[in-house]
Amino acid sequence: MSLLKSKAPRIREKRLDTLNAWLGSAESSIRELSGEETFQRIRTFSQSSQDDLLHALRLLAGVRESVVIIHAPRGCIAAGLYHKVASGAGRWIVTNLDQKDTIMGADRKLRKAVTGAYRQYRPEVIFIVSGPVAAINNDDIQAVVDELHEELELPIVPVYVTGFASRNAVTGYDTALHAILKHIVGTRGDGQGTTKVNLLSVVEHPDDRVESERILALLGVELNVLPDGASATTFRLAAGARFSFSLDQDSENYLGVILRDEYGVPYVEQPRPIGLGATGRWLVSAGKALGREDVALAVHEQQSEQVRRSLGDFSLAGLRVYLALSPATAFAVADLVSEFGGEVVGVTVGHLGKLQVSQLESLARRYPSLQVHVADGQPFEELNIVRRLAPDLYIGDAAHIGQAARLGIPVVSLENVPVLGYAGVTGLVRRITAALKNRSFAESLAGIRTPYRDAWLRRSPNWHIKKEVK
Amino acid sequence: MSNHIDGSRNSCALHGALQLIEAIDGAVPVIHSNAGCGMQHFLGVNRSNAFGCPFGGPPVSSSNISEKHVVFGGSSRLREQLKNTVKVVDGELYFIVSGCSTEMVGDDIPAMAKEGREQDFPVIYANTPGFRGGVHHGYQLAVRALVEQLPDLLKEKRTPVKGLVNVLGIVPQQDPFWAGNLEEIGRLLEGIGLEPNLLLGYGQGVDGWHRVPEASLNIVVSVWGDAGARLLEERYGTPFLRLEGLPVGSAAGGLLRAVSDRLGLDSGLAEHVIQTQETRLRRQLGSLADAYFRAGFQREFALVGESAQVVGLSDFLTRTLGLLPRTLVITDDPPEESRASLEQSLALLVEEFGSEVFFTEDHAEISAVLRSGNAGLVLGSALEEQVAEELGAAFMRVSFPLGERVVIDRGYAGYRGASSLLEDLGTLLLSSATRKFNTVS
Repeated sequence: MSLLKSKAPRIREKRLDTLNAWLGSAESSIRELSGEETFQRIRTFSQSSQDDLLHALRLLAGVRESVVIIHAPRGCIAAGLYHKVASGAGRWIVTNLDQKDTIMGADRKLRKAVTGAYRQYRPEVIFIVSGPVAAINNDDIQAVVDELHEELELPIVPVYVTGFASRNAVTGYDTALHAILKHIVGTRGDGQGTTKVNLLSVVEHPDDRVESERILALLGVELNVLPDGASATTFRLAAGARFSFSLDQDSENYLGVILRDEYGVPYVEQPRPIGLGATGRWLVSAGKALGREDVALAVHEQQSEQVRRSLGDFSLAGLRVYLALSPATAFAVADLVSEFGGEVVGVTVGHLGKLQVSQLESLARRYPSLQVHVADGQPFEELNIVRRLAPDLYIGDAAHIGQAARLGIPVVSLENVPVLGYAGVTGLVRRITAALKNRSFAESLAGIRTPYRDAWLRRSPNWHIKKEVK
Repeated sequence: MSNHIDGSRNSCALHGALQLIEAIDGAVPVIHSNAGCGMQHFLGVNRSNAFGCPFGGPPVSSSNISEKHVVFGGSSRLREQLKNTVKVVDGELYFIVSGCSTEMVGDDIPAMAKEGREQDFPVIYANTPGFRGGVHHGYQLAVRALVEQLPDLLKEKRTPVKGLVNVLGIVPQQDPFWAGNLEEIGRLLEGIGLEPNLLLGYGQGVDGWHRVPEASLNIVVSVWGDAGARLLEERYGTPFLRLEGLPVGSAAGGLLRAVSDRLGLDSGLAEHVIQTQETRLRRQLGSLADAYFRAGFQREFALVGESAQVVGLSDFLTRTLGLLPRTLVITDDPPEESRASLEQSLALLVEEFGSEVFFTEDHAEISAVLRSGNAGLVLGSALEEQVAEELGAAFMRVSFPLGERVVIDRGYAGYRGASSLLEDLGTLLLSSATRKFNTVS
């Protein structure tokens, strides 16, 4: 049966044994994920984190000429306000479910919101995103979609996130991509005959997209970039592309796999092009797929030489670095740190599953006893760990970075910072240099208390992580 | 039936309660809901104002319920979360707030709070699902919880303070200038010999809330303080003085006079304070006059914001500064019964000018009324920037969400606030006048 038959994809926990709570050495992490059965862990104390709804909204914010209707009570759209204010992204409407709607259902309200949005904005596509309340009530969104799809003659795409079915927010990317594939891309064989290559760009920084497009253009390839900045046409073209190419193996996974398995578009996977070595390997793998490996090698030599000259004698030798990043970025930045002679002393990743095993293995070869911490937005654990390790530099991308900075350690934030390709290396080195050259802001923050009791900071950091009892 | 909202700025009740709790030193919110509810709050509220939250990140305690809790109930998960929050997070008061899912499932939140109290944890709770209303409703629910439940936590009786007055009705973050506005109101009240109990902001802790019943007067500066003030009147017989909006400039003098009158204070002192402040303000206006005439300050303006802001700012801009209110949009959805008096007082700002007053929080609707009003000066939130640009109007961020404007302790209330407003608005009008001049030549 086609994987796209279902309303939503299988959650990451089930599809890829993905964990969102874990603390253990790199080696034990590999054992846990490679064995017969992976045991899910839960927390007996937890802090606010991302969820599938938020990730779906973030992804949909990047789709052009679209309107997002959130079928939920009013607060579920707060993140949309942030995207709108911070980057001008998206048009956001909330159906504003009230108490009565939670009992009686509210498909009439949803219908009104969809037709209203259509009249107001004349978009190319309307997304209906369900929130927890609609999920619990089991509101019949599909009926509204079927009815209005005919009437309005535009794709209306239901995105069935729940906010509670998965503990891994990344499931929200999968769910949004599933919906796009199912309702926009169409059936196998559509869009055949293009010479374009899909570049899978899921919630990347706009400058990163520009940089990767620039580099790949040097190979003379025409790109079809999705889902970031994509329109309905882009999605339709995707099903007939020559192959799909990676920017982030974790976020894009579902898109690459389904385009391959359901539409026959080969998926060329490669770790993120962060740092000179990884960018070279990434470019060469694209070159190979295009039959232009020699061009790729020449381009890399020329581009990396330029970067090397601009970096001068930059080095991380003797520096102990802590990384708290999303998985694909974390492993790639770990490579970059090693490339410049630094030592990674610990990592926190938002989640960890089967997808990450090969990268874990290469990390374990370099740092066998390295502690791997899996947590999305659990700074109470992270601060506990980082405080013990006392690294010289902390590189992170989470919303709680301001809290981590209270430990008085120089901090570099990669949230909303371009990191990919040759331009990414230069930019990243400039930020690291600045953070290490003048540490006074870290020292200014060091006087502020963290929100935690000293007794907690003395406790073992995995105290609240337990095996889930089924 | 509630309608759908385009580009909502009033978030939900849970977020409103969090806004209040985060503004009290030593109070720790314990969210019983989905993992993302607190993050939505952080992104959509804290970050949308660019001056984040005292904890340095998203909410520090959240039960992050999963499917199992939706199916079988999540009370036991809350029990575990609460017990561990007290051990992990430093605080003087743990405040449970619930979200939609746990309310739909029917988790017994009061019982969990009671259990916590029985173990001597300082715990209170409020049921704050988003399907019950927006941030302002959440603010009211949290105030009610504090008033009703805090007395149970108080161990020893303390001596009442003479001349204590509470200030109610300012919703943190939703009024982006909340901290500065409160401090200025406090400064002025101190000037006439009172002890202001500001309750929120720097140095305002749980103890201030314990002292709420001891006040001789509650000063309510927006419609959102009404419910709390009535509750306190009912419980403790505390009278309250209600303003229609923030007192900006001379209106602050009016507030001091009214308070002094109400409490039977020496009117000489109040008059002296008011006179000093008024003289200072007149002097500032005198020095600004040259720029005022040179840059043509006297424009028609549109103002989009909370009712208290719209009333307070437009009062100063029209009655002191001579500007003309074209379009006034009130976004905080005030209760039906308060609308007539708001509308009336705003329509009368400049007689027979024909100001238009709208009540809406819908972004598409707000853009439409701004377009049809076509004022040359737009004061609003980051969401209004685009339409202001479209109209070629000078634009200033004064209401939530501010987006790319950092406000720490700046305020527009009181006399100092009036000076700040003159600085900010003057800078904008001067630079827009210069820009226009340059494009002409």
